[in-house]
Amino acid sequence: MAQSILCPQVGQDLTEAKVVALHVKLGDMVKKGAIVAEVESEKASFEVEAFATGTVIALPYKVGDTATVLEPLVVLGTADEAKAAASAPAAAPKAMGAAAAAPSKASKVNAPRASERASDGVLRSSPLARRIASEAGIELATLAGTGPKGAVVLRDVESVIANGHANSQAAQNANGKGGLAIKSLKNGSGHPIVFIHGFGSDLSSWRPFVALLSIGNPMIGIDLPGHGGSVGATAKDFDQLVADVAASLLAAGHHRVHLVGHSLGAGVSAALTKIAGIDVRSLTLLAPAGLGARIDGDFVHGFLSATSESALARWMQQLVHTPKALPAAFVRATLSAREGGDLAAKQRQLANAVFEGSTQLFSVVDALHHYSGPCRVVVGRRDSVIPADHVENLPGHVAVHRLEAVGHLPQVEATELVSRLVAETVRAAG
Amino acid sequence: MAFRELMYREALREAIDEEMARSPEVFIIGEGIAERGGSYKVTEGLLAKYGPKRVRDTPIAEAGMIGVGVGAAIAGARPIVEILYVDFAMLGMDMIVNQAAKFRLMTGGEGRVPFVLRTQGGAGGGVAAQHSQSLEALFYHIPGLRVVMPSSPADAKGLLKYALRQSDPVMFLEHKHLYMTKGLVPDGEHIVEFGKADIKRPGKDVTLIAWSNMVPTALAAAEELAAQGIEAEVLDPRTLVPLDKAMILASVSKTKRAVIVQEANRRGGVASDICSIIQEELFYDLDAPIEIVAGLDIPIPFNLTLEKASVPQKSDVVAAARRALHQDPLGLAAQ
Repeated sequence: MAQSILCPQVGQDLTEAKVVALHVKLGDMVKKGAIVAEVESEKASFEVEAFATGTVIALPYKVGDTATVLEPLVVLGTADEAKAAASAPAAAPKAMGAAAAAPSKASKVNAPRASERASDGVLRSSPLARRIASEAGIELATLAGTGPKGAVVLRDVESVIANGHANSQAAQNANGKGGLAIKSLKNGSGHPIVFIHGFGSDLSSWRPFVALLSIGNPMIGIDLPGHGGSVGATAKDFDQLVADVAASLLAAGHHRVHLVGHSLGAGVSAALTKIAGIDVRSLTLLAPAGLGARIDGDFVHGFLSATSESALARWMQQLVHTPKALPAAFVRATLSAREGGDLAAKQRQLANAVFEGSTQLFSVVDALHHYSGPCRVVVGRRDSVIPADHVENLPGHVAVHRLEAVGHLPQVEATELVSRLVAETVRAAG
Repeated sequence: MAFRELMYREALREAIDEEMARSPEVFIIGEGIAERGGSYKVTEGLLAKYGPKRVRDTPIAEAGMIGVGVGAAIAGARPIVEILYVDFAMLGMDMIVNQAAKFRLMTGGEGRVPFVLRTQGGAGGGVAAQHSQSLEALFYHIPGLRVVMPSSPADAKGLLKYALRQSDPVMFLEHKHLYMTKGLVPDGEHIVEFGKADIKRPGKDVTLIAWSNMVPTALAAAEELAAQGIEAEVLDPRTLVPLDKAMILASVSKTKRAVIVQEANRRGGVASDICSIIQEELFYDLDAPIEIVAGLDIPIPFNLTLEKASVPQKSDVVAAARRALHQDPLGLAAQ
């Protein structure tokens, strides 16, 4: 089956990147880990690595083109698919002399692009939804659209108004009353899946994961205080952190949600199950905080203190078991997000509110005892930030997945399995 | 008000009868309309009542009949020319388009053409490509013509009576499927002015705009949609020229969504024009693209199965209404 290597998210909220080099051509065999392309944003250039082995069957962009972030940059397939692609004139004008293949096969090659059309990042809305939202002072970008191609339609605006959009105006302003930045990661229909990032990250870190997740629900991300678009917000302790996330979700009309959280975000996700007014349909916790007392305080301190790319890379490699698994783009994106702002200082503030040295100051074990929806916890056995054995404290109804040769970022080191587990958890909620 | 149940064809006959009794200028000509009473029995009994000068059979010569009618109207009579199939009216297009439609303007308003061409169109009889067309768009396009498409017995009577009292050329387009349908017709003098649409079924969620034989189809679709919790409003413009824009806009302003249903093939159709009017006036009130459900751009096939497949069915209207409401197609919704 064809697999797409996506143009990376080269910086927070960048939607395009220039293709400066393509190291492969149609028909080339590519090995996992090989550098296939280079793209550059205004800030930095990034090498794009093949995450799988295969034959290049489509190259939607040429060198010099501007590529859309998270759209396929290189499509890999089997040798058969390569032949089919070569015989389809639109996909590859320079046929490799292969025999004609069934057109249905050729169109299959194009299928991934079509299915990603809804996640092209274009904000669509009906004229009426636009007008009503504007009259009510609601920012369309904060809404999850349920119309065709993820368009925001009247019912989406009405549901926000019905849920008291007075608060949503605060939510737009990260410096407002505990309002946090919420963004759509992928359009769809059904109850939204809310992704809550871990300490030191932000909602854009979910984009590559979300792009691979094959379920139809809308997906949204929220930036925790001191992170990403919520850099102006602070929380004095874990309870306030949870309350602010809850208030922001409710203000944006998300009262019935699936939650996927990582690390500190997983702790927040678990705690949200106790908040009145939020109906958590399912819970997937990746390397969750809040299950035990310990956390690697040195890591938190070192991560926040690093100012050079090499120093930050050394610390961030602690996040994974196989250092190569950590995309270089991750480190650069983290560093460039810190540039010229007080992000690190804000994050230190939050760290002090929820951790003390190597101690986590909060627990969500009780919340999980009371949660009755589908709940999965995924941890890496080689997690060096939060000990994997904290899962021993979990109640029996929670499914626990312990992954070999995986560190603190299961969604990066075991993307396929984790996306499958997220999909299963969401579906289990019915 | 008292009502009687009449068939569409009986209602038309009453209109002609009443207007012939009222005004000596009214006469009717056509193929087989006098002694045989017309192929659809609309003119049955009129020969005996009004005599062969006012109820006259003609040879099979549509161009001549239409020419006689237009000329008589210019001379001050009120002719009704019955053409067996709208398809055959093409033989008289010069008289209709270049003479009847233009005369009033070109005489500075001194000359009028109170000419009524009664005919029928539409698919559904297995009578093939030359006897099944819905050609209202051709007349709709020509300034100076009135285009009337009644869907019910009451409208048929009221609109035909009005046609025979006003003074511009009228294309009175009936539908072969409607002649035997029944409906309540008000007793006494019943006149329906041109340019007044009618809400055939009120609703708040989506406006279905349909005329002629598509009105029963839209009403059946609305019934099915009601069972799915969707309240569709069915609006019948009744006359396409003049068009009751005000009522169309009022309805769509309320429902925020419109589905236009026309039996005629889609390309260059009246639905497209109504669609453009709505979007121009109500763009910021629309929550979904305006849907058009129309016939296929092909000659109507003879084969009954293919004929059915080429014109809108109830299920097409239901599906379009659900799309307009951003709801899943029925198959998916049921799961």
